[in-house]
Amino acid sequence: MAEQKGEFAEKNRENPSADGEKKEAKLMLREVVAKVYEEAFEAKARGELVGWSASKFPAEICETLGLHVVYPENQAAGIAARHGGQRLCEAAEAMGYDNDICGYCRISLAYAAGVEAEERPMPQPDFVLCCNNICNCMTKWYENIARMKNIPLIMFDVPYNNTPEVSQDAVDYMKGQFYDAIQQLEAISGKKWDEQRFAEVCRNANRSAKAWLKACSYCSVKPSPLAGFDLFNHMADIVTARCRVETAEGFEQLAEEYEAAVKEGHSTWHYDENYRIMFEGIPCWPELKKLFTPLKSKGINTTAVVYAPAFGFVYDDLDGLMRAYCKAPNSVCLETGVEWRETLCRENQVDGALVHYNRSCKPWSGYMPEMERRFRRDLQIPVVSFDGDQADPRNYSDEQYQTRVEGLFEEMEMAKGRGEEN
Amino acid sequence: MASIKECLSEFAHVARHPEEQLKKYRSQGMKAIGCTPYYAPEELIEAAGMVPFGLWGKAGVPKKAREYFASFYCSLAQMNMEMALDGSLDGLSAVLFSVLCDTLRPASQNFKVGADIPMLFLAHPQNRRTGYGVTYFAQLLENLCTELEKISDRPIGEEDIRRAIRIYNENRREKRRFCTLCAEKAGLISAVDRHLVMKASYFMRKEEHSRLLRELNQALEAAAVPDFSGFRVVTSGILLDSEKLLQLFDQYQLAIVGDDLAQESRGIRVDAAEEGDPIRALALQFSRQNQDPLLYDPTIYSRSSYIKRLIRDSHADGLVQIMMVFCDPEELEFPDLSRAVSEAGASLLKLSYSHEMVDFGQAETSLETFAAMLSEKREMGT
Amino acid sequence: MDEVYTLGVDVGSTASKCVILRDGREIVALSLVPYGAGSSGPGRAIEEVLEKAGKTTSEMAEILATGYGRKQLTIAEQSMSELSCHARGAHFLFPGVRSVIDIGGQDVKVLSIGPNGMLENFVMNDKCAAGTGRFLDVMAHILELRTDELADYAECAQKEIIISSTCTVFAESEVISQLAAGCDKADLIRGICVAIASKVAGLARRIGVRDELVMTGGVAHNRAVRNALAEALGHPIKSHEYCQHVGALGAALFAWQRCHKLAAENSN
Repeated sequence: MAEQKGEFAEKNRENPSADGEKKEAKLMLREVVAKVYEEAFEAKARGELVGWSASKFPAEICETLGLHVVYPENQAAGIAARHGGQRLCEAAEAMGYDNDICGYCRISLAYAAGVEAEERPMPQPDFVLCCNNICNCMTKWYENIARMKNIPLIMFDVPYNNTPEVSQDAVDYMKGQFYDAIQQLEAISGKKWDEQRFAEVCRNANRSAKAWLKACSYCSVKPSPLAGFDLFNHMADIVTARCRVETAEGFEQLAEEYEAAVKEGHSTWHYDENYRIMFEGIPCWPELKKLFTPLKSKGINTTAVVYAPAFGFVYDDLDGLMRAYCKAPNSVCLETGVEWRETLCRENQVDGALVHYNRSCKPWSGYMPEMERRFRRDLQIPVVSFDGDQADPRNYSDEQYQTRVEGLFEEMEMAKGRGEEN
Repeated sequence: MASIKECLSEFAHVARHPEEQLKKYRSQGMKAIGCTPYYAPEELIEAAGMVPFGLWGKAGVPKKAREYFASFYCSLAQMNMEMALDGSLDGLSAVLFSVLCDTLRPASQNFKVGADIPMLFLAHPQNRRTGYGVTYFAQLLENLCTELEKISDRPIGEEDIRRAIRIYNENRREKRRFCTLCAEKAGLISAVDRHLVMKASYFMRKEEHSRLLRELNQALEAAAVPDFSGFRVVTSGILLDSEKLLQLFDQYQLAIVGDDLAQESRGIRVDAAEEGDPIRALALQFSRQNQDPLLYDPTIYSRSSYIKRLIRDSHADGLVQIMMVFCDPEELEFPDLSRAVSEAGASLLKLSYSHEMVDFGQAETSLETFAAMLSEKREMGT
Repeated sequence: MDEVYTLGVDVGSTASKCVILRDGREIVALSLVPYGAGSSGPGRAIEEVLEKAGKTTSEMAEILATGYGRKQLTIAEQSMSELSCHARGAHFLFPGVRSVIDIGGQDVKVLSIGPNGMLENFVMNDKCAAGTGRFLDVMAHILELRTDELADYAECAQKEIIISSTCTVFAESEVISQLAAGCDKADLIRGICVAIASKVAGLARRIGVRDELVMTGGVAHNRAVRNALAEALGHPIKSHEYCQHVGALGAALFAWQRCHKLAAENSN
């Protein structure tokens, strides 16, 4: 794998667009994701193993071992965004899976069972990597796939935290699993662990994460050089390719572009920026356009997107890596969750918050009523919620959404009026 | 020796009046700790000289809890919160909260900030079979002991925990014997009574529960095998905690000859070692728990083989899945369960269940039809 | 031997249906009153069917109740669940039946039937009204139409307006906003029929459907829903002019079977 990486570096040097005028970051980043899937298909064709991985399973392991992995959550989001979600959800329901189950999970189970998805195909798995820092649903979802295919499952259990700190005991427990996962994967694939390569992979992962967080941070500039929703477009990279140097380069360039836009007074947000809001939760991928429509028409930019920086894992050493993987939105306590969001809202100077009650995501939506109260109290901003789903269009009502956004707009107008009076 | 009827009526009274039990223990100077599902290490509470109280919600519609939950959360989590907010849990010194599913994670946080009762927190490790998993869980149990000592204001010694383990092992043995007797003498104990016997243990000191249950078991052993012409079923799911619904099982002659319910048998399958380091014994006990949708299954196939064995060993005609509405772990394992039931040659019925249910019309239609189906199947077979 | 008459009464949530059967073979009379459990509907339906047959209660060898309000019907000696009765009734009308879909006022049921007419498996809707007859009633009300007028409109549709929400409340607001936007009523109704069919098809796929597939219940009269359902499932759907009476018919058949059995036992 190290050699292959070297080859990519060569190619990049030969790439004419690399020396002359630079390729746009969004194109670079799109190509990185395309390559992840392409390489996985090629590996499968060569008879190599391909894994399916939870988005927040320590990606460093497979990257170090040079194993190809693809990401069912990213696939499901892609299928949903291209309007295939309902078809695959219905197929899973016909297999006996209840329509209350997470939409990503239903899509993934249907795909694993052989339902085609031209929207975002990926090779079928030879092993699965499960990590529950994102949710417990993962556990049974991946077990179902492992049973369906009769393939090995590697479990990385991240204990849910009731306090902002992660105990050393928890870190040690996770390290035990980390070494165990390496051993299991070595046995499955016949590949050997290389500490030097691991160090390099970690450097890449940190470089990507830092660059990603930096790019996200441009939302704090007023007016923002980007439409906050743009960040959703780049999430595939931080999910599927965070250990690759090309990803780091793409994000670094993205940050540079935002920096330049600030200097030149440009923005990818082409509308008035009357108000800035926080968007809470995973977006409704099938309805991205519909979510965007009333926001742009009223000049409301989403300058705080909780979901995006959630993937910025930065760490110094192995203990730090374990702690970093404990910091997923659904694995932290209420206090930490509130602190993250309120800091984001303050830094990014928001006037209101729009909360998505996501039918697919029980752990996320489960403490939203309390969070809403805290946002109102601590930030003194209006907060409005709507019902939806990250992947199943049947759980979303555009009528309700539009009414709620209008309500939020009116509340922000009133708050502004009061502010001006004072 | 007490008669079957006397024992049952005592169990029923306790199961129906947890508040009286709490009052009784409090008046004896004992402190009580609430335990939410699942796999609360109650032994440590007993070792600390306190009484564990199981919290499995109550029948009704959440009102105050709606301030904390959107509509798509199971009634178990919502009603436990409701009980904390409406005063039903007053008198508990703390609540031990574990978080084995996606609803319990945020529910723990809601409880922590919304309920007026201190919360003890326990996140069980899922990679529980490994050496590092056992070590980690043992450490969490140690920490829990420290918390419990603060509440009970007395140290928990190793011997205290060993004694508690013996008490709990004894109680689990009696419960298992009771379940076996219900299966061997189907028709003797009603579905309602079977449930109440099991449920009562959540509001009794286990020594008392075991004492009474031993008497009941002896009486059951002495009783003749009744002439039972109905059907034998196994229940599966989180809980079946409604007398109205259970009465329908009795009405349509569906005898419960085994269960795979979290509230009943899932928690009593594995005992802890009575020798050696007792904390480690409890960690090892949890490491051996399996065959549960709430737990990661390292072998990925153990649940379905367990279900098939349960059906075979209890000579069940069918399995009734009590599907807690909005319970995704159970929902995710349903297709596999359904295959297992069919491979075992039994019939399957899925019943939706929530604490909010007042009208059991659809459940009755389903159970009546299920009984009719089993009856036709039997006629065809003979 | 004398002719044996049996009466089957189906006390549904929104309508009461009766069937009188001669010797378990021949349908003598039917009745339907659009009021269900807890109303005067069951009594009126019984009166009406007896009058049509020119019989009295005492001439019925056996009365058997089914449906949501079956337990409250004191005149019936026996009751059976509507699932068993729909299976039996459908098998009488279509001896080759293997699957039945019944869309009732508040329930949707899908039955799997063995080659001998035996009920093998079933599934019912849970949680919500989406996919039930109630859903159509709600929509018809918004459109200022009667439920039975929907099919005619749907047949005039040029295209179908997609109703994406499964939730009845959400779907209601979707329909209202489409109306407000001035869309074609017929296209919208086609969309509503497709939406209900898709929900029911989802339920049906859980236990699988096989030919012959028979649809029963009042909604079976709605050609638009029936066609959309057939398309969604990829199976032709059979229906019958007595589709609403299948439960009552099954009840009358079970009543006859009981008489027959009793007679056989007595003669032994």
